[in-house]
Amino acid sequence: MNTTIDALPAQQRRDWKELASGFLVRHIMVVVMLLIVAFFAYRSARFATPDNLTNILIAAAPFALIALGQTLVILTGGIDLSVGSVMAASAMAAAWTAKNAGDNLMLPLLAALVTGLLAGAINGLIVSKFEVPPFITTLGMLTLASGIAYVIGNGAPINGLPTSFGSFANTQILGLTLPVVLMIIAILVLAFVMKRTNYGLRVYAIGGNRLAAEIAGVRSRGILFSVYAISGVLAGLSGLMLASRVITGAPNLGQGYELDAIAAVVIGGASLMGGRGTVWGTAVGLLLIQTINNGLDLLLVPAYWQNVIKGVIIVAAVGVDVWAARRGRR
Amino acid sequence: MSTVRSDDSNPVVPMLECSGITMSFGGVPVLRGITFTLEPGTVTALAGENGAGKSTLMKIASGQCRPDGGEVKVRGQHLPSGNTQAAYSLGVAIVPQELASIPELMVYENLFVGRELRSSFGMLDRRAMIKAAGGYLADFGLDTDPRTRMGALPVGVRQIIEIIKATNRGARVLLLDEPTSAIAEREVARLARIVRTLRDQGVAVLFTTHKMEEIRAMADRVVVLRDGKLVSDTPLSDITDDGIVTAMIGRELDQLFPERTESGSDITLEVDNVVIAHGSEPISFSVKRGEILGLAGLVGAGRTELIECIYGIRKPVSGTVRVSGAPLRPGSPLNSIARKLAIVPEDRKGAGAVLSLSVLDNATLPRIAAFSRFGILRSRKRREAVGAIMKSMRLKSNGLDQKLENLSGGNQQKVVFGRWLTGQVDALLLDEPTRGVDVGARSEIYRIITGLSSAGMAVVMASSDMPEILSLSHRVFVMRDLGVVGELDRAQLDCPNVQDTIFRLASGQSAAPVKDTTP
Repeated sequence: MNTTIDALPAQQRRDWKELASGFLVRHIMVVVMLLIVAFFAYRSARFATPDNLTNILIAAAPFALIALGQTLVILTGGIDLSVGSVMAASAMAAAWTAKNAGDNLMLPLLAALVTGLLAGAINGLIVSKFEVPPFITTLGMLTLASGIAYVIGNGAPINGLPTSFGSFANTQILGLTLPVVLMIIAILVLAFVMKRTNYGLRVYAIGGNRLAAEIAGVRSRGILFSVYAISGVLAGLSGLMLASRVITGAPNLGQGYELDAIAAVVIGGASLMGGRGTVWGTAVGLLLIQTINNGLDLLLVPAYWQNVIKGVIIVAAVGVDVWAARRGRR
Repeated sequence: MSTVRSDDSNPVVPMLECSGITMSFGGVPVLRGITFTLEPGTVTALAGENGAGKSTLMKIASGQCRPDGGEVKVRGQHLPSGNTQAAYSLGVAIVPQELASIPELMVYENLFVGRELRSSFGMLDRRAMIKAAGGYLADFGLDTDPRTRMGALPVGVRQIIEIIKATNRGARVLLLDEPTSAIAEREVARLARIVRTLRDQGVAVLFTTHKMEEIRAMADRVVVLRDGKLVSDTPLSDITDDGIVTAMIGRELDQLFPERTESGSDITLEVDNVVIAHGSEPISFSVKRGEILGLAGLVGAGRTELIECIYGIRKPVSGTVRVSGAPLRPGSPLNSIARKLAIVPEDRKGAGAVLSLSVLDNATLPRIAAFSRFGILRSRKRREAVGAIMKSMRLKSNGLDQKLENLSGGNQQKVVFGRWLTGQVDALLLDEPTRGVDVGARSEIYRIITGLSSAGMAVVMASSDMPEILSLSHRVFVMRDLGVVGELDRAQLDCPNVQDTIFRLASGQSAAPVKDTTP
């Protein structure tokens, strides 16, 4: 506004550079992702094939659902550590139901959704009503739900399910499997909800400043409750998909998935303090992790080394993001 | 740049020299070549509106921030930037606006953190630290127990402890960023005393402010920044208050306070026997259409608590509040908003706005239902409504999508005001409406307040700023101990000794001097 005339040419030149570097800074994760893809494509002929890219999507789908739920929770400034166990409990509930209900597919679906919803609702109630820190609440639920998973199967996996149980994971729609379709739908729906609805704005507001949001008339408890409930339901659905893929209910399924989900959200640029992050960012973070998993498999890197490399890449990726954000602020 | 080297012929070595400092953020120049020096045993006020570059200059002068160009020297030595430790060892200390004390630690632990006293076995020597800390506190006229938890102390005391901490570590240049923005008037007097003591010990003090009284009370020289340029650097005795203000805003500020308009006759806001806390006096009053009721009192007198009880952020022990005849549900901001009550809270960053959200989103929040259909936001409608309001507020921003954290304090406050005006408001609650807001934006906010009241709003305004209370209010309540201890009407507010009257009431020195002053 107060720029003097003689300063203008230099100013404009700088604006150009600013614009270009601003774009890079904002989409730094996409750049990182492209670099990693290019690396794997260069090193492995099998990487950049349609079949393999489909494999990446199929592997990403169960993570996607819990990472999306996790995004909402993290946007409110909370965290949901229980999703992995809730997946296991839901999978076991679904498997048990399928074993006893025969070919009816609605009942196992219902069992998984209800189990997930119940776990999420309990988390949400304790966090919003009793104001127990989310870390503690969901840590408790992590142990509890895992216990339930083992109780349902009496400590063992549930095998011998009707083959129709596999149709959750294996049904094809437009050439994509059902979980991949669900993942895409969930990303689109949640991206819309978070960007374009009252609900989305309120979630961001609570995470950004809960007191200010309440003063502006947002009923924070209901919103807080809802994000944990949504996270639970999505975990239930995700558990069902995983169990369906192998037509078995395993009580240790989903173990540790919560950490990959949190990593995806954080790589996507969300702040664990709440208020910052996007659904698109999570989708990119998710694909980044799955691409690394897949590429390292193709390069025949031993599993334990894969973990070492993945750990380094996660921290490095977020480090680059933080660095870029700091440059962006300057 | 030909700067004076610290040659021996020059008797006074400057403590701090800034030469040709330039700095820009994201292509926007914030400082455009600032040169000035601080001499030992002087107190310099750094005045300027928010956004003038004061805080940035402070950060550069204290070594926290690397300038794009120019150099900082401390007693002739180059100050490396981005290294607060180096600045410390050169004797430069900054007491930031947001205090850097550790609330969970005790006072003495705060004073010694980082250079703890140890006994012979390498263990902490707590007894020695407590004793030494007690001595320091006494030197500065504080009778605080060094074993008090830092967080339990009022801001003004914590600030003095921060100053003690800085000077104890050998600071010869003390930078105070907005030292008075969060403390009560009486604490300002104590701070001024301490600053003078330090000056007499040869410390060079630089503080930022935009309050004229404080410049007069504390400084002996004033440096004024405007739009990143140094526009005036004079001994305080050579410049008038008007001169400083004109330098700060770059134009004559004809009148800070607009004319009051007559209040209406029908009652809009009724507060009926509201008890803030158990054992406190019930409070009852009513505010008419177009009337501004001022709430004066010391920090902790209960002004904020009363406003929070009225709005529903806090549940009163008992009592009811009615807006335009309809009772409010206690403890429900949502209900208050529906009854056309609005609030601009005291702590803008903590309670007023969601800084990580955009102007548009912040302004949408209170009336979100009006801007959505079936839960989906109606982009065009809210953009138009918010855009029109923000234009009338003369908001300076890069558009409605700019995040609030990137706006100056005054502009943030305009958003916190303006977000209510997308719908009808009958009664408006203001708590320190101009805290942390610079002079130029302040006069605009006063214009907004009187504009709203003349349009028919009933306004309750709590403020520690005396001129603000005295000039804007139709009536003033003085509060103490969570109760109302005195009421002054317009005639009494125009008495010359009204400030003294209010102070006596607020501090409980005299029961009823109010009547005596009526002509």
